[in-house]
Amino acid sequence: MIGFWEVIARSENGPLFKEKKFDMQLAAAARQLAEKYDIRYNSQKVVPDDDDLADRLYQAALDLFLEVGIYCRDTGRLIQFNREEVVQAVQNAPRTVTYGQGRDEAVMTSRRVEDPTPPFVVMTPVGTPVAEERFVAMVQSYAQEPLAQTFSSAFSQTINGRPIKAATPQETEAAIWNVIKLREAARAAGRPFIGIHNLVTNAERSDATLAAMQPAFGVLPNDGLGIAAISELKVDYERIKKVVFMRHSGHNKYGLYGPLLGGFAGGTETTAIVHVAHHFLGLLAYEAQWHCGFPLHLHHGCNSCRELLWLIAVTSQALSRNTHSPIAVSPFSAAGPCTDMVIYEMAAISIAASVSGANLLACAPARNRHPERATGMEARVCAEAGHVAAHQKISRREANTIVMDLLARYETTIADAPLGQCLAECYDLATLQPSQEYLDLYQSCRSKIGLNYSLL
Amino acid sequence: MKDLLDRIVNATVKGDETRAIALAHEAMAKDFDPFKVIQQGYARGMEIVGDLFARLEYFLPEVMLAADAMTAALEVLKPHLQDRENGGSSGTIVIATIQGDLHDLGKNIVKVMLEAAGFTVYDMGADVAVSALIAKAQEVEADIIAASAILTTTMAHMPDIAKILAELGIRDHFRIMLGGAPVIREWAFQAGADGYGEDAAEAVETARQLMVSTSIGAQP
Repeated sequence: MIGFWEVIARSENGPLFKEKKFDMQLAAAARQLAEKYDIRYNSQKVVPDDDDLADRLYQAALDLFLEVGIYCRDTGRLIQFNREEVVQAVQNAPRTVTYGQGRDEAVMTSRRVEDPTPPFVVMTPVGTPVAEERFVAMVQSYAQEPLAQTFSSAFSQTINGRPIKAATPQETEAAIWNVIKLREAARAAGRPFIGIHNLVTNAERSDATLAAMQPAFGVLPNDGLGIAAISELKVDYERIKKVVFMRHSGHNKYGLYGPLLGGFAGGTETTAIVHVAHHFLGLLAYEAQWHCGFPLHLHHGCNSCRELLWLIAVTSQALSRNTHSPIAVSPFSAAGPCTDMVIYEMAAISIAASVSGANLLACAPARNRHPERATGMEARVCAEAGHVAAHQKISRREANTIVMDLLARYETTIADAPLGQCLAECYDLATLQPSQEYLDLYQSCRSKIGLNYSLL
Repeated sequence: MKDLLDRIVNATVKGDETRAIALAHEAMAKDFDPFKVIQQGYARGMEIVGDLFARLEYFLPEVMLAADAMTAALEVLKPHLQDRENGGSSGTIVIATIQGDLHDLGKNIVKVMLEAAGFTVYDMGADVAVSALIAKAQEVEADIIAASAILTTTMAHMPDIAKILAELGIRDHFRIMLGGAPVIREWAFQAGADGYGEDAAEAVETARQLMVSTSIGAQP
């Protein structure tokens, strides 16, 4: 099996390639493979139940990866692999990942299509900006959720009153502050040893990130980081430096992939192929133990729209049928907290992902860009929909009916989705419980989702 | 002339660079007004491309091919524009992803769309210090400084653009336009922007408005 340092050697010795040429060839190469393997998007079947389609998609993604490889930005070279190397990496990939300690220990595993085992749920506001004084409250609202098995961070807009600027001393200070506050929130939630799957989300540079990953700051040995691909099928040394550190430190690491539908990957089918190909990037360049996808619509900035639901379902099926790696999907909604739309969007994505064999990284409301607009309640919506779909043993065909019904409730308002309420408006910050308005709204919406919530 | 313009529109929409260049030569050989050729030919083609992109009937690679075709044709037309009024450029923009930020996909999309709209764009790439951005804007006598950020930490460098321009006493020399995934409208104006782009289409419209605007640092 190819070793990590051989991959790095290839990044230093592989063929020189123009970045623009790499970008421009991607969609064309994927389009040829979409035709060869007959990958077709079906707008009426956003949760497809065609095993052969899922398997063809996987083969198309493997072919694409072998054809284009990975682009290393620091050296301007291609990192290329042969089929045997990729197949071996898939065969030798980890099957489980353990987070947390003691009673808070949780084990993420891979899931099968239509798996009756509920998805593993990691909860996070996905770096939503929040005022410094509400940071702990916001992240605690996730850590305290009963279905949360790990949690992660919001983004405090200041640290000790000072703005955080990338690549400055304040960035290092912020990264350390972030880690200390996350563990403080875990303790406040009564779950002192819950795992933190992504310790540092407020620092870009590896020096700041790694400075914060110390036991003295409350970091557990199996807390970890998410390592993202830069743009489509690209890596850089700033990210790989973090991988090197974690190979020695033993912290858990996962790959994060967010191809844009409409971007360099092209349309729905070709973006699906490119998205699955990132799985191989994660295994080979990052030694990722699990893989999280957040494919997004280039114009809408969410993945609750029709094309993305199909993409999420079919790529999850391709990976869960052909690999044993744990995978997860991160739902991004257009609407914000305490709206019926965010409940329907989150439920739709979670059901499509859960029934297709994915775990959940919940979640990013309001397109993940509006300060204070993220709470544990949206993560609860995601987690409960995913759990019930599994407990109820719904088929993909049944899931499609439910998701299509949910889609009809919000699809026409995606472009002008309501921003909803801020944390301070829809939670009582003293008790850190959702407002009665939000609870009532969720209860009312649950009756329209088409799942049997008594099975929770 | 209409037939030639239709062929130019078609070549641009198809992203056929070779054809776009050949048609530019043909237009000049026939002594057509180069400004009209740009506006009613290449720019019209890019408008169609922009519409197709908005509906996601075209994706980013197709938009880039079309922009490349137009840019190559403009190189042919440039010498013929020199003695005429309204030399074809809608304005000069220096654009970059801000300091500390290595993600440039969003900035690249905006750049392509701005070029397609007729702006002369100097792309400084990613992870560009505010001081370097300002120095380039001074060097090329830019009308607009445009900055993008995809990370909340890098976004924090954006207010320094207006701040440093003011300290240098040249705030009124440039319009500032901000955008990027975590940058919302209210924040951008608080950070000293004169304009904001939620997406590439709005960025182009904002740039056009800034070129005719007389106010600097105005609130939305």
